[in-house]
Amino acid sequence: MAHRSGFSAQTLAVLADLCATPSRWRHGYGIARDTGLKSGTLYPILIRLADRGLVEARWEDEQPAGRPRRHLYRLTPDGVAAAAAALAQAPATGGTPARTTSRGRRQVVAR
Amino acid sequence: MDWLTRVMVALLRRSAGLLPADRRVWADALLAEADEVPAGRRRLAWLAGGVRLTVREASPARRLGYAAAFAAAAAGTLWSAWSGPAGDPAVVPNRVEVISLAVILAGLPWAFRRARGPADGGRAARLVRTGGYAALFALVLVRTAVERVAYAPPNNVAGSGAWTRGALFLAVMAGYAAGMLALTARRSRAVPATVAVGTATGAAVGVLAFALGPLGFPLRFTGSWPAGLYDAAMVTGVLLALCAPVVAGLVAARRAGHTQPGGFRAGQGAMAGLCTGATAALVVAVLSTAAIALLPYDTGLQHWAATHVGHWAPAVGQWTANLGPPRIGYVAGNSAFAAGYLVVLMVSPLLGCGFGVLAGLAADDPPRAGTS
Repeated sequence: MAHRSGFSAQTLAVLADLCATPSRWRHGYGIARDTGLKSGTLYPILIRLADRGLVEARWEDEQPAGRPRRHLYRLTPDGVAAAAAALAQAPATGGTPARTTSRGRRQVVAR
Repeated sequence: MDWLTRVMVALLRRSAGLLPADRRVWADALLAEADEVPAGRRRLAWLAGGVRLTVREASPARRLGYAAAFAAAAAGTLWSAWSGPAGDPAVVPNRVEVISLAVILAGLPWAFRRARGPADGGRAARLVRTGGYAALFALVLVRTAVERVAYAPPNNVAGSGAWTRGALFLAVMAGYAAGMLALTARRSRAVPATVAVGTATGAAVGVLAFALGPLGFPLRFTGSWPAGLYDAAMVTGVLLALCAPVVAGLVAARRAGHTQPGGFRAGQGAMAGLCTGATAALVVAVLSTAAIALLPYDTGLQHWAATHVGHWAPAVGQWTANLGPPRIGYVAGNSAFAAGYLVVLMVSPLLGCGFGVLAGLAADDPPRAGTS
């Protein structure tokens, strides 16, 4: 059950967030904060995107002081292309995806 | 709150251990991020999402569970259809019907997975698929029970059309299953809210229709006050049933967003109306056919039916409805009801779809302030 681009609104939100700085490695909580997605929604999306080769993931190289190592994510070249194409097709927001608020309602992302 | 958080961390760690290795890393990642999330309810929600993730990603176990449930439902239905007295003319058509349906229901998800992708991961899609398949099996189960009585002496209503009716029934069931799978596939054009709104509305309409005429006939009340109340309820029920796909279509179209093209919103309205009509028909068909199937065996139901619907004469196996001529025997009546529900199953989704698309086209959702 998806958007016309083939991605759900939530997936488009994640793609848009990652696409904003495609070369930067991002961590899950940062993406969740930016997109407003809950962890139970965000991580399945990241898993599917990684399964499809659109997102690559790795652990932080070094053990930071005072917190566990984070798992980091960024778009692959295929992911950048797919995200650009999907976001261009997203008519709801003229290129930016719908966003799920903490109450589960879809709303338009104003960027 | 701290102790609850610790419990959730322990639960997440434990459930992550159940995942395949390639999935466990994601649960570990989510757990590692938990310290970043502000303590309290937000961290608790984050961890709860992690537990949800592990449940969701334990897909081999879930798939095994679905397969086992499907096998159990198919076996139970088959066992029920298989049993019957020797020479009962309903037994062979029933067996063929159930086997064919089980094969169709087992094969369709495979075909749809290739064409439209796997099932959407959301709860609505899972509920629709599970509930829909359960309803289809239940309908076959009660229909075979009705036919077993209908085809046996002294009723002998099978006739030469039994196989044709069976084939038509199977085609309708396959259509329902295909519709359910198409609407809940990952690459479906229906957004989850459309399916959820349509299905919930349809289920409510189906239960209402069953309550107003559980055996397929309008009820009869002796007192003027209850009769008047029932008539008013009937009129209200009919109006609600007609309005339901329109309302579902409007809601779905508006939820699709005002910036979506009109065609997309109309499509969501059509799919919501389709879900409403199909679900209502399926629910009322299952419940009413089950009540009809119980009638020969349940004396309480017979007494109630004699008071509120018509006369029951078990000695000759005849059922005379107060609306129909005496020639309508009980089983012939049942068979007619079953055929009637088949018509309902075919027409209702089309009507719902039509009303829904009109509602989708009519949905006028002006841009709200603060959005672009």
